[in-house]
Amino acid sequence: MQWLELSVTVDTEAVESVSELFAQYGYNGGVAVEEAIIPSLDSPEYQIDTNKPVIVRTYLLANEQAADAQTHIERGLWVLGMMRPVGDLQVKTIAEEDWANAWKEHYRTRRIGQRFVIVPSWLQHEATENDVVLNLDPGMAFGTGLHPTTQLCLELMELIEFNNTTVLDLGCGSGILAVGAAKLGSQRVLALDTDPIAVEATAENARINHSETLVTALEGSLGDAPLEHWLGWEGAQLGTPQSYRHHNEFDVILANILAKVHVVLGNDYLAALKPGGVLITSGIINEREADVVAAFEAVGLEQVERRTQGDWVAFTHRKPA
Amino acid sequence: MAKKVTAVVKLQLPAGKATPAPPVGPALGATGINIMAFCKDYNEKTSAQVGTIIPVEITVYSDRSFTYILKTPPAADLLRKAAGIQRGSGKTGTQGAGSITRAQLRQLAETKMPDLNANDVEAAEKIIAGTARSMGITIKD
Repeated sequence: MQWLELSVTVDTEAVESVSELFAQYGYNGGVAVEEAIIPSLDSPEYQIDTNKPVIVRTYLLANEQAADAQTHIERGLWVLGMMRPVGDLQVKTIAEEDWANAWKEHYRTRRIGQRFVIVPSWLQHEATENDVVLNLDPGMAFGTGLHPTTQLCLELMELIEFNNTTVLDLGCGSGILAVGAAKLGSQRVLALDTDPIAVEATAENARINHSETLVTALEGSLGDAPLEHWLGWEGAQLGTPQSYRHHNEFDVILANILAKVHVVLGNDYLAALKPGGVLITSGIINEREADVVAAFEAVGLEQVERRTQGDWVAFTHRKPA
Repeated sequence: MAKKVTAVVKLQLPAGKATPAPPVGPALGATGINIMAFCKDYNEKTSAQVGTIIPVEITVYSDRSFTYILKTPPAADLLRKAAGIQRGSGKTGTQGAGSITRAQLRQLAETKMPDLNANDVEAAEKIIAGTARSMGITIKD
Protein backbone atom coordinates (compact mmCIF):
# COMPACT_ATOMS: atom_id res chain seq x y z
CA MET A 1 0.00 0.00 0.00
CA GLN A 2 1.18 3.50 -0.79
CA TRP A 3 0.32 6.91 0.54
CA LEU A 4 0.40 10.43 -0.86
CA GLU A 5 1.82 13.12 1.37
CA LEU A 6 0.39 16.52 0.47
CA SER A 7 2.16 19.53 1.92
CA VAL A 8 2.01 23.27 1.52
CA THR A 9 4.02 26.14 2.98
CA VAL A 10 1.96 28.99 4.43
CA ASP A 11 2.21 31.90 6.85
CA THR A 12 0.86 31.78 10.43
CA GLU A 13 -2.44 33.38 9.52
CA ALA A 14 -3.33 30.80 6.88
CA VAL A 15 -2.62 27.71 9.01
CA GLU A 16 -6.16 27.33 10.33
CA SER A 17 -7.81 27.71 6.90
CA VAL A 18 -5.45 25.28 5.19
CA SER A 19 -5.79 22.78 8.06
CA GLU A 20 -9.57 22.92 7.69
CA LEU A 21 -9.29 22.23 3.96
CA PHE A 22 -6.84 19.35 4.49
CA ALA A 23 -8.95 17.84 7.27
CA GLN A 24 -11.90 17.54 4.90
CA TYR A 25 -10.03 15.24 2.53
CA GLY A 26 -7.07 13.84 4.47
CA TYR A 27 -6.98 10.29 5.81
CA ASN A 28 -8.77 10.02 9.17
CA GLY A 29 -9.24 13.84 9.04
CA GLY A 30 -5.64 14.09 10.16
CA VAL A 31 -3.41 17.12 9.65
CA ALA A 32 0.17 17.72 10.74
CA VAL A 33 1.48 21.26 11.28
CA GLU A 34 5.20 21.91 11.45
CA GLU A 35 6.35 25.23 12.89
CA ALA A 36 9.98 26.24 13.25
CA ILE A 37 11.13 26.49 16.86
CA ILE A 38 13.99 28.16 18.70
CA PRO A 39 14.90 25.83 21.58
CA SER A 40 16.54 27.04 24.76
CA LEU A 41 20.12 25.94 25.41
CA ASP A 42 19.57 23.48 28.25
CA SER A 43 15.99 23.72 29.45
CA PRO A 44 12.61 22.62 28.12
CA GLU A 45 11.58 26.10 27.03
CA TYR A 46 11.28 27.01 23.38
CA GLN A 47 9.80 29.72 21.23
CA ILE A 48 7.92 29.43 17.97
CA ASP A 49 9.93 31.13 15.24
CA THR A 50 7.16 33.20 13.67
CA ASN A 51 9.53 34.55 11.01
CA LYS A 52 9.77 31.13 9.42
CA PRO A 53 6.95 29.70 7.31
CA VAL A 54 4.75 26.86 8.52
CA ILE A 55 4.37 23.55 6.69
CA VAL A 56 0.94 21.92 6.77
CA ARG A 57 0.63 18.27 5.73
CA THR A 58 -2.05 15.70 5.18
CA TYR A 59 -2.09 12.18 3.79
CA LEU A 60 -4.21 10.30 1.26
CA LEU A 61 -4.31 6.61 0.52
CA ALA A 62 -2.93 6.26 -3.01
CA ASN A 63 -6.10 4.77 -4.53
CA GLU A 64 -8.57 5.74 -7.29
CA GLN A 65 -10.18 8.42 -5.11
CA ALA A 66 -6.88 10.16 -4.42
CA ALA A 67 -6.80 12.17 -7.66
CA ASP A 68 -10.28 13.51 -6.93
CA ALA A 69 -9.36 14.55 -3.40
CA GLN A 70 -6.17 16.16 -4.64
CA THR A 71 -8.11 18.20 -7.20
CA HIS A 72 -10.49 19.43 -4.48
CA ILE A 73 -7.54 20.40 -2.30
CA GLU A 74 -5.81 22.20 -5.19
CA ARG A 75 -8.98 24.16 -5.92
CA GLY A 76 -9.37 25.04 -2.27
CA LEU A 77 -5.76 26.21 -2.05
CA TRP A 78 -6.24 28.33 -5.15
CA VAL A 79 -9.17 30.11 -3.48
CA LEU A 80 -7.26 30.52 -0.19
CA GLY A 81 -4.30 31.82 -2.20
CA MET A 82 -6.37 34.85 -3.15
CA MET A 83 -6.69 35.80 0.54
CA ARG A 84 -3.28 34.85 1.93
CA PRO A 85 0.04 33.82 0.39
CA VAL A 86 -0.06 30.04 -0.01
CA GLY A 87 2.77 28.01 -1.51
CA ASP A 88 2.40 25.38 -4.21
CA LEU A 89 1.01 22.00 -3.21
CA GLN A 90 3.82 19.45 -2.96
CA VAL A 91 2.88 15.82 -3.46
CA LYS A 92 5.14 12.97 -2.48
CA THR A 93 4.50 9.24 -2.61
CA ILE A 94 5.46 7.40 0.55
CA ALA A 95 5.48 3.66 1.13
CA GLU A 96 3.38 2.04 3.84
CA GLU A 97 5.58 1.24 6.80
CA ASP A 98 4.97 -0.54 10.03
CA TRP A 99 4.71 2.79 11.84
CA ALA A 100 3.56 1.10 15.01
CA ASN A 101 6.96 -0.57 15.28
CA ALA A 102 9.31 1.47 13.06
CA TRP A 103 10.32 3.80 15.92
CA LYS A 104 11.80 0.79 17.74
CA GLU A 105 14.59 0.79 15.16
CA HIS A 106 16.04 3.75 17.05
CA TYR A 107 16.64 1.58 20.11
CA ARG A 108 18.94 -1.28 20.83
CA THR A 109 20.48 -2.80 23.90
CA ARG A 110 22.97 -0.25 25.21
CA ARG A 111 25.91 -0.67 27.49
CA ILE A 112 26.67 2.33 29.70
CA GLY A 113 29.82 2.49 31.78
CA GLN A 114 31.30 -0.85 32.86
CA ARG A 115 28.21 -2.63 34.14
CA PHE A 116 24.89 -1.03 33.20
CA VAL A 117 22.95 -2.55 30.30
CA ILE A 118 19.71 -0.92 29.18
CA VAL A 119 17.38 -3.41 27.50
CA PRO A 120 14.08 -2.43 25.78
CA SER A 121 11.26 -4.91 26.50
CA TRP A 122 11.10 -6.25 22.94
CA LEU A 123 14.75 -7.31 22.98
CA GLN A 124 16.49 -10.16 24.76
CA HIS A 125 19.77 -9.89 26.62
CA GLU A 126 21.98 -12.66 27.97
CA ALA A 127 23.33 -11.03 31.11
CA THR A 128 26.77 -11.86 32.40
CA GLU A 129 27.41 -12.01 36.13
CA ASN A 130 28.75 -8.47 36.26
CA ASP A 131 25.90 -6.87 34.28
CA VAL A 132 23.40 -4.60 35.98
CA VAL A 133 20.40 -4.92 33.65
CA LEU A 134 17.82 -2.13 33.47
CA ASN A 135 14.67 -3.08 31.54
CA LEU A 136 13.38 0.17 30.20
CA ASP A 137 10.96 1.16 27.44
CA PRO A 138 11.14 4.68 26.08
CA GLY A 139 8.02 6.64 26.90
CA MET A 140 6.79 9.99 28.06
CA ALA A 141 9.24 10.58 30.92
CA PHE A 142 12.80 11.80 30.46
CA GLY A 143 15.54 9.25 31.05
CA THR A 144 15.67 6.71 28.22
CA GLY A 145 19.40 6.21 28.64
CA LEU A 146 20.01 7.89 25.29
CA HIS A 147 21.04 11.23 26.72
CA PRO A 148 24.61 12.07 27.80
CA THR A 149 23.39 13.48 31.14
CA THR A 150 21.78 10.14 32.07
CA GLN A 151 24.82 8.19 30.90
CA LEU A 152 27.19 10.37 32.92
CA CYS A 153 25.10 9.73 36.04
CA LEU A 154 25.14 5.97 35.56
CA GLU A 155 28.92 6.05 34.99
CA LEU A 156 29.48 8.02 38.20
CA MET A 157 27.13 5.71 40.11
CA GLU A 158 29.37 2.75 39.28
CA LEU A 159 32.22 4.38 41.17
CA ILE A 160 30.48 4.57 44.54
CA GLU A 161 29.14 2.10 47.12
CA PHE A 162 25.39 1.47 47.10
CA ASN A 163 25.13 -1.56 49.41
CA ASN A 164 22.64 -0.89 52.22
CA THR A 165 22.35 2.80 51.36
CA THR A 166 19.39 5.18 51.49
CA VAL A 167 19.18 7.11 48.22
CA LEU A 168 17.29 10.15 46.94
CA ASP A 169 16.73 10.47 43.16
CA LEU A 170 15.66 14.06 42.60
CA GLY A 171 13.96 14.68 39.23
CA CYS A 172 13.53 10.96 38.65
CA GLY A 173 11.94 11.10 35.17
CA SER A 174 11.62 7.51 33.95
CA GLY A 175 13.18 6.28 37.20
CA ILE A 176 16.26 4.95 35.43
CA LEU A 177 18.66 6.21 38.14
CA ALA A 178 16.43 5.13 41.05
CA VAL A 179 16.11 1.61 39.64
CA GLY A 180 19.85 1.58 38.90
CA ALA A 181 20.58 2.44 42.55
CA ALA A 182 18.25 -0.34 43.73
CA LYS A 183 19.98 -2.84 41.45
CA LEU A 184 23.37 -1.76 42.78
CA GLY A 185 22.32 -2.72 46.29
CA SER A 186 20.52 0.26 47.80
CA GLN A 187 18.00 -0.61 50.53
CA ARG A 188 15.67 2.33 50.10
CA VAL A 189 15.30 4.77 47.23
CA LEU A 190 13.07 7.83 47.36
CA ALA A 191 12.35 9.08 43.82
CA LEU A 192 10.90 12.58 43.54
CA ASP A 193 9.67 14.47 40.51
CA THR A 194 7.44 17.49 40.08
CA ASP A 195 5.83 15.88 37.02
CA PRO A 196 3.10 13.30 37.81
CA ILE A 197 3.82 11.47 34.53
CA ALA A 198 7.39 10.92 35.70
CA VAL A 199 6.22 9.64 39.09
CA GLU A 200 3.94 7.14 37.36
CA ALA A 201 6.69 6.08 34.93
CA THR A 202 9.14 5.56 37.79
CA ALA A 203 6.69 3.37 39.71
CA GLU A 204 6.01 1.34 36.57
CA ASN A 205 9.70 0.91 35.71
CA ALA A 206 10.48 -0.09 39.31
CA ARG A 207 7.79 -2.77 39.00
CA ILE A 208 9.14 -4.06 35.64
CA ASN A 209 12.59 -4.30 37.20
CA HIS A 210 11.30 -6.05 40.35
CA SER A 211 12.47 -3.13 42.48
CA GLU A 212 9.07 -1.84 43.60
CA THR A 213 9.68 -2.76 47.23
CA LEU A 214 12.86 -0.68 47.25
CA VAL A 215 11.79 2.36 45.20
CA THR A 216 9.13 4.83 46.40
CA ALA A 217 8.09 7.40 43.78
CA LEU A 218 6.41 10.61 44.94
CA GLU A 219 5.42 13.94 43.45
CA GLY A 220 7.50 16.70 44.93
CA SER A 221 10.85 18.37 45.30
CA LEU A 222 13.51 19.00 47.91
CA GLY A 223 13.80 21.86 50.36
CA ASP A 224 12.49 25.37 50.04
CA ALA A 225 13.75 26.35 46.61
CA PRO A 226 11.09 28.14 44.55
CA LEU A 227 10.06 25.79 41.77
CA GLU A 228 8.22 27.81 39.17
CA HIS A 229 11.22 29.33 37.47
CA TRP A 230 12.98 26.14 36.52
CA LEU A 231 10.03 24.16 35.34
CA GLY A 232 9.62 26.36 32.30
CA TRP A 233 6.27 26.37 30.57
CA GLU A 234 5.16 23.14 32.21
CA GLY A 235 5.33 24.74 35.62
CA ALA A 236 2.11 26.61 35.08
CA GLN A 237 0.24 23.36 34.49
CA LEU A 238 1.80 21.40 37.30
CA GLY A 239 0.98 23.78 40.11
CA THR A 240 3.24 23.92 43.12
CA PRO A 241 4.32 20.45 44.14
CA GLN A 242 4.97 19.39 47.70
CA SER A 243 8.42 20.21 48.98
CA TYR A 244 10.15 17.65 51.17
CA ARG A 245 12.67 18.53 53.86
CA HIS A 246 15.22 15.98 54.89
CA HIS A 247 18.09 16.19 57.35
CA ASN A 248 21.10 13.88 57.47
CA GLU A 249 19.01 11.19 55.83
CA PHE A 250 20.60 10.11 52.57
CA ASP A 251 23.84 8.28 51.86
CA VAL A 252 23.53 9.21 48.19
CA ILE A 253 21.62 11.89 46.28
CA LEU A 254 21.27 11.55 42.51
CA ALA A 255 20.13 14.69 40.71
CA ASN A 256 20.01 14.90 36.93
CA ILE A 257 18.28 18.25 36.62
CA LEU A 258 19.52 21.62 35.36
CA ALA A 259 22.52 23.75 36.29
CA LYS A 260 20.37 26.63 37.57
CA VAL A 261 18.46 24.27 39.86
CA HIS A 262 21.64 22.79 41.31
CA VAL A 263 22.79 26.32 42.09
CA VAL A 264 19.60 27.01 44.06
CA LEU A 265 19.59 23.64 45.85
CA GLY A 266 23.18 23.65 47.22
CA ASN A 267 22.12 24.09 50.85
CA ASP A 268 19.24 21.62 50.56
CA TYR A 269 21.55 18.92 49.20
CA LEU A 270 23.98 19.52 52.05
CA ALA A 271 21.22 19.35 54.68
CA ALA A 272 19.65 16.19 53.25
CA LEU A 273 22.93 14.23 53.02
CA LYS A 274 24.34 12.23 55.93
CA PRO A 275 27.85 13.33 56.96
CA GLY A 276 30.19 11.73 54.41
CA GLY A 277 27.27 11.30 52.00
CA VAL A 278 27.71 11.49 48.23
CA LEU A 279 25.99 13.83 45.77
CA ILE A 280 25.94 13.06 42.02
CA THR A 281 24.76 15.97 39.89
CA SER A 282 24.21 15.99 36.15
CA GLY A 283 22.33 17.95 33.50
CA ILE A 284 24.93 20.71 33.60
CA ILE A 285 25.68 22.35 30.25
CA ASN A 286 29.38 23.32 30.12
CA GLU A 287 28.66 27.07 29.94
CA ARG A 288 27.00 26.90 33.38
CA GLU A 289 29.58 24.62 34.98
CA ALA A 290 31.35 27.43 36.85
CA ASP A 291 28.08 28.50 38.52
CA VAL A 292 27.50 25.01 39.91
CA VAL A 293 31.11 24.60 41.06
CA ALA A 294 30.95 27.95 42.88
CA ALA A 295 27.55 27.23 44.48
CA PHE A 296 28.64 23.84 45.84
CA GLU A 297 31.98 25.18 47.04
CA ALA A 298 30.15 27.97 48.86
CA VAL A 299 28.11 25.50 50.94
CA GLY A 300 31.11 23.27 51.67
CA LEU A 301 30.54 20.28 49.39
CA GLU A 302 33.84 18.69 48.32
CA GLN A 303 34.29 17.82 44.67
CA VAL A 304 35.41 14.21 44.18
CA GLU A 305 34.86 13.49 40.49
CA ARG A 306 34.14 15.35 37.26
CA ARG A 307 33.05 13.76 33.97
CA THR A 308 32.12 15.24 30.62
CA GLN A 309 30.38 14.00 27.52
CA GLY A 310 29.75 16.37 24.61
CA ASP A 311 28.50 19.68 26.03
CA TRP A 312 27.51 18.11 29.36
CA VAL A 313 29.25 17.93 32.71
CA ALA A 314 28.50 15.77 35.75
CA PHE A 315 30.02 15.81 39.24
CA THR A 316 30.41 13.69 42.33
CA HIS A 317 30.63 15.72 45.56
CA ARG A 318 30.96 14.63 49.17
CA LYS A 319 29.56 16.16 52.35
CA PRO A 320 32.38 16.44 54.91
CA ALA A 321 32.20 13.66 57.51
CA MET B 1 16.04 16.57 34.15
CA ALA B 2 18.16 18.22 31.57
CA LYS B 3 15.58 18.09 28.88
CA LYS B 4 16.10 20.06 25.72
CA VAL B 5 13.45 20.30 23.04
CA THR B 6 14.38 18.79 19.68
CA ALA B 7 11.04 18.93 17.88
CA VAL B 8 7.52 20.24 18.27
CA VAL B 9 4.85 18.54 16.17
CA LYS B 10 1.25 19.70 16.01
CA LEU B 11 -1.38 17.24 14.86
CA GLN B 12 -5.11 17.49 14.33
CA LEU B 13 -6.58 14.12 15.13
CA PRO B 14 -10.03 12.63 15.62
CA ALA B 15 -10.62 12.32 19.38
CA GLY B 16 -10.22 8.78 20.67
CA LYS B 17 -9.15 7.46 17.26
CA ALA B 18 -5.45 8.12 16.80
CA THR B 19 -3.59 5.26 15.10
CA PRO B 20 0.02 4.83 13.96
CA ALA B 21 -1.27 5.33 10.37
CA PRO B 22 -0.86 8.80 8.78
CA PRO B 23 -0.59 11.47 9.87
CA VAL B 24 0.77 10.17 13.20
CA GLY B 25 3.25 7.59 11.84
CA PRO B 26 4.99 9.69 9.18
CA ALA B 27 4.88 12.90 11.27
CA LEU B 28 6.35 11.32 14.41
CA GLY B 29 8.36 8.46 12.87
CA ALA B 30 11.47 10.56 12.36
CA THR B 31 11.43 11.75 15.98
CA GLY B 32 11.90 8.18 17.25
CA ILE B 33 9.33 8.51 20.02
CA ASN B 34 7.12 5.67 21.24
CA ILE B 35 4.21 6.10 18.82
CA MET B 36 2.02 3.43 20.41
CA ALA B 37 2.41 5.02 23.83
CA PHE B 38 1.34 8.35 22.37
CA CYS B 39 -1.72 6.97 20.52
CA LYS B 40 -2.89 5.00 23.54
CA ASP B 41 -2.55 7.96 25.88
CA TYR B 42 -4.18 10.40 23.45
CA ASN B 43 -7.13 8.07 22.85
CA GLU B 44 -7.66 7.56 26.54
CA LYS B 45 -7.61 11.28 27.31
CA THR B 46 -9.91 12.23 24.43
CA SER B 47 -12.31 9.26 24.57
CA ALA B 48 -15.12 11.43 25.96
CA GLN B 49 -14.99 13.74 22.94
CA VAL B 50 -15.23 11.16 20.14
CA GLY B 51 -16.66 12.78 17.02
CA THR B 52 -14.66 15.97 17.37
CA ILE B 53 -11.16 16.94 16.31
CA ILE B 54 -8.76 17.57 19.17
CA PRO B 55 -5.45 19.10 18.11
CA VAL B 56 -2.42 18.07 20.08
CA GLU B 57 1.07 19.55 20.41
CA ILE B 58 3.79 17.00 20.98
CA THR B 59 7.14 18.13 22.37
CA VAL B 60 10.06 15.78 21.78
CA TYR B 61 13.13 15.96 24.01
CA SER B 62 16.76 15.22 23.31
CA ASP B 63 16.55 11.64 24.61
CA ARG B 64 13.43 10.88 22.54
CA SER B 65 11.10 11.08 25.49
CA PHE B 66 8.11 13.34 24.91
CA THR B 67 5.19 15.19 26.41
CA TYR B 68 2.07 16.51 24.77
CA ILE B 69 -0.73 18.93 25.46
CA LEU B 70 -4.23 18.93 24.07
CA LYS B 71 -5.24 22.15 22.34
CA THR B 72 -8.46 24.02 21.68
CA PRO B 73 -10.64 22.69 18.81
CA PRO B 74 -9.77 23.96 15.31
CA ALA B 75 -11.11 27.42 14.46
CA ALA B 76 -13.24 25.87 11.72
CA ASP B 77 -15.05 23.60 14.21
CA LEU B 78 -15.72 26.52 16.56
CA LEU B 79 -16.97 28.62 13.64
CA ARG B 80 -19.33 25.90 12.44
CA LYS B 81 -20.73 25.60 15.93
CA ALA B 82 -21.15 29.37 16.30
CA ALA B 83 -22.83 29.64 12.90
CA GLY B 84 -24.96 26.55 13.55
CA ILE B 85 -23.90 24.70 10.40
CA GLN B 86 -22.89 21.11 9.68
CA ARG B 87 -19.47 19.94 8.72
CA GLY B 88 -19.00 19.88 4.95
CA SER B 89 -21.67 22.47 4.10
CA GLY B 90 -20.10 25.07 1.87
CA LYS B 91 -16.97 24.55 -0.17
CA THR B 92 -13.81 26.54 0.40
CA GLY B 93 -14.34 30.12 -0.69
CA THR B 94 -18.05 29.89 -1.52
CA GLN B 95 -20.43 32.34 0.10
CA GLY B 96 -23.57 31.82 2.08
CA ALA B 97 -22.63 28.97 4.36
CA GLY B 98 -23.78 30.95 7.39
CA SER B 99 -22.86 33.88 9.55
CA ILE B 100 -21.62 34.89 12.99
CA THR B 101 -21.70 38.20 14.85
CA ARG B 102 -18.75 40.46 15.74
CA ALA B 103 -19.27 39.52 19.39
CA GLN B 104 -19.04 35.82 18.52
CA LEU B 105 -15.88 36.50 16.53
CA ARG B 106 -14.31 38.21 19.55
CA GLN B 107 -15.33 35.32 21.78
CA LEU B 108 -13.82 32.73 19.40
CA ALA B 109 -10.63 34.76 19.12
CA GLU B 110 -10.34 34.80 22.91
CA THR B 111 -10.92 31.03 23.10
CA LYS B 112 -8.32 30.28 20.42
CA MET B 113 -5.87 32.98 21.48
CA PRO B 114 -3.49 30.68 23.44
CA ASP B 115 -2.99 28.40 20.43
CA LEU B 116 -2.74 30.88 17.58
CA ASN B 117 0.68 32.48 17.90
CA ALA B 118 -1.10 35.82 17.71
CA ASN B 119 0.30 38.79 19.62
CA ASP B 120 -3.06 40.19 20.70
CA VAL B 121 -6.75 39.46 20.44
CA GLU B 122 -7.09 41.69 17.36
CA ALA B 123 -4.52 39.58 15.53
CA ALA B 124 -6.35 36.43 16.66
CA GLU B 125 -9.63 37.91 15.36
CA LYS B 126 -7.99 38.51 12.00
CA ILE B 127 -6.96 34.85 11.79
CA ILE B 128 -10.42 33.59 12.77
CA ALA B 129 -12.10 36.03 10.36
CA GLY B 130 -9.81 34.74 7.58
CA THR B 131 -10.80 31.17 8.35
CA ALA B 132 -14.49 32.17 8.41
CA ARG B 133 -14.17 33.87 5.03
CA SER B 134 -12.47 30.84 3.56
CA MET B 135 -15.37 28.68 4.76
CA GLY B 136 -18.02 30.98 3.32
CA ILE B 137 -19.10 32.22 6.75
CA THR B 138 -19.80 35.95 6.85
CA ILE B 139 -19.38 38.24 9.85
CA LYS B 140 -22.30 40.55 10.65
CA ASP B 141 -21.91 43.87 12.42
